[in-house]
Amino acid sequence: MLRFFEYVGKPFVLLIEAFGKVILLLVSTISWMVRPPYRIHEIFKQMEFVGVNSLPVVIITGAFTGMVLAIQTYYGFKMFGGESLVGATVALSMTRELGPAITALMVTGRVGSAMAAEIGTMRVTEQIDALYTMSVNPVQYLIMPRVIASIMMLPVLTIVSDFIGIVGGYFVGVRLLNINSGIFVARIIEFVALSDIVNGLIKSAVFGLILSLVGCYKGFGTFGGAAGVGRATTQSVVISSVSILISDYFLTAVMF
Amino acid sequence: MSKLSVEAKVGVFVVIGVVLLCYMSMKVGKLNFSNNKGYAIEVLFDSATGLARDVTVEKAGVEIGRVQDISLRDGKALVVLRIKQAIKVKKDAKAVIRTRGILGDKYVEIIAGSASAPDIMGGGRLTRTMPVTDMDTLLNVLGEVANDIKLLTTVMSNVLGGEEGEAAVRAIVSNLRGIVTTLNQSIERNSSDIDRMIDNLAGFSDTLRSIGDDNQGDIKEIITSVRRVSGSMESLVADLEEITEKINTGQGSIGRLINDDSTIDNLNETLAALKEIAQSISQGEGTLGRLIAEDQTIDSLNTTLASLDEITTKINSGEGTLGRLVNEDETVESLNTTLTQLNNYLEKQDTFRTYLDYRGEYLFNSEALKSYLSLRIQPREDKYYLLQIIDDPEGKESVTDTYRDINGTVVQEHEVKVEYDVLKFSAQVAKRYYNLAIRGGLLESTGGFGFDYYFLDDKLLMSLEAFDFSLDRNPHLKAKIDYTPFSHLYLTTGYDNFVNEESRSFFIGGGINFSDEDVKTLFTSIPLPY
Repeated sequence: MLRFFEYVGKPFVLLIEAFGKVILLLVSTISWMVRPPYRIHEIFKQMEFVGVNSLPVVIITGAFTGMVLAIQTYYGFKMFGGESLVGATVALSMTRELGPAITALMVTGRVGSAMAAEIGTMRVTEQIDALYTMSVNPVQYLIMPRVIASIMMLPVLTIVSDFIGIVGGYFVGVRLLNINSGIFVARIIEFVALSDIVNGLIKSAVFGLILSLVGCYKGFGTFGGAAGVGRATTQSVVISSVSILISDYFLTAVMF
Repeated sequence: MSKLSVEAKVGVFVVIGVVLLCYMSMKVGKLNFSNNKGYAIEVLFDSATGLARDVTVEKAGVEIGRVQDISLRDGKALVVLRIKQAIKVKKDAKAVIRTRGILGDKYVEIIAGSASAPDIMGGGRLTRTMPVTDMDTLLNVLGEVANDIKLLTTVMSNVLGGEEGEAAVRAIVSNLRGIVTTLNQSIERNSSDIDRMIDNLAGFSDTLRSIGDDNQGDIKEIITSVRRVSGSMESLVADLEEITEKINTGQGSIGRLINDDSTIDNLNETLAALKEIAQSISQGEGTLGRLIAEDQTIDSLNTTLASLDEITTKINSGEGTLGRLVNEDETVESLNTTLTQLNNYLEKQDTFRTYLDYRGEYLFNSEALKSYLSLRIQPREDKYYLLQIIDDPEGKESVTDTYRDINGTVVQEHEVKVEYDVLKFSAQVAKRYYNLAIRGGLLESTGGFGFDYYFLDDKLLMSLEAFDFSLDRNPHLKAKIDYTPFSHLYLTTGYDNFVNEESRSFFIGGGINFSDEDVKTLFTSIPLPY
């Protein structure tokens, strides 16, 4: 009988334990942020990896998201003659929701997985232990730069994605579906407030924190050789994506 | 592609992002206007259905302001409109709530008043409104109208429907035709008589007119006299009535005189006393007696009256200050312009603000507190002057290069001196575009500039400053974030001097910031260019 309850309770205990460990990792990351040496070059290297190198992916996904959004909403609005609202809908969806979320998911796939794989490999090949012996704190050397870079780069990627998405929507709406260009832009300016853009960027910074922290946590706790690295990578992508979408709901509910 | 350093790549990428953010926020950032710019006027609507805060206020289709607030006052909707400073609204302008588009968005339209009416001031109220025509009431009225029409047509069809009705209508029409024919015939028969009649009438009216023309003045006078006389008569009769009534009831002196015997006795006594007084006066006794008897008094009284007469004449003819004040339009006009200018000045004083600010930053590197005391003078919403006194634990560096000629070779001596008990000063001018402010001038006693970007209704401020430029080392760069969770108090964190390896430092701190009315009055009494 007791075995049954243990069987039910164990996943929950593990879940809460994992959550606590992630929080502890976050705390130690923050405490290592303000302690010298600051490792500026490491941070810039990660920024390049997270931000600059993700740019093509984000531009392509952003453009096509905006374009498909324009087509879909066009058919909806056409039913009651509100085609002029397509621009505002695309712009609001991109800045408030799709820009931050899709960018975060793409970066999770590209960067979160790489973080887990890289740190995981270092763990199983005992490079992390080597760092300890050289009295270099791996949290500061490996994790802190990645977290800072993700928090700072995600908003920048998101603003690019927002802009490209709206341009894509404009292209489809005005060039292909013949919506008046002046009305298209005027409605965007009329309906989109600055807070929409800024709140989207704040969300994306939180997503950056989540994906980097989960990727690093999974990589840091890797065990079991090459298979373990693969498992850590997969888990980090799945957990990051799910937590991003869940936190997205709560952030949106609180902010908007 | 040539080899770019990691830092350069990230830098280019971040600049692209910031440029896009600035572009987008400038495009949509029209909301800044809502808080303090412009002036507020109130409108009382019977109903403000569908109206919301920040909805546009338009005049002839052009946006001139926003709805600032909607509240309930005595069962009506009190709507506060914030109008742009440059736009003037006349006191007799009319405010209407209108609907735009098929989705029924509401906005407030101001219909211009007459050109001669005075402008409404900030805080004033527009009294003329038009009731809201919302779709529901419109449809209700339309429905009633349709019902009425339906009733009418039913009655008509009842009366006229069927063969009977048709026959009746036919009979009516044929009767009408008969009447018209008869009329025609009789007119033809008597056409000469009718002509004569009309001629006579014309002659008669001519005569009447000439009589009227000749005696127009007289007639008018007669009428006005009659009117005046009858008016006076009326009041006279009323007065008479009142008097007789009072007399009858024994009120007033005459009433008592008539009705009371003792009064007569009093009167007799008084008359006797008067007689006595008159005798003394004629003999020149007492002040009054002397006054009447001596010619000198009368003379001085006469001259006094003459000077008074002179003064009033002068005033009338516009001589002297008082005379000009009373008589010349020019004086009044210049007085008016002066008052208007005074008003404008006072309005400007209203937008004028000064802030005092203390901030402390704990530098982790030197483990000491850096203090700033600032005075921010803000004549307009979008520009300010910033004066600061700074106590810097890092001290103030001064570099002296001396060249000395020793045995024909020039030797350079480079001396860096750090003074610790020296205050630094900042004096900057700043201009704000939407969410971005650019400032420049003297930063910590050296030349420099800075950028501020405001988020979340100015609660969050990100700044980047660059100063202390010199040829032989990197400039002093400082990035910081200020967060103001409550009014007046803020927290700050940032990274100071981060391009100089040896003195870079994180810092955290806080500050207090408040608007100060006392300092403001000090500055507005000094003429400043606006």
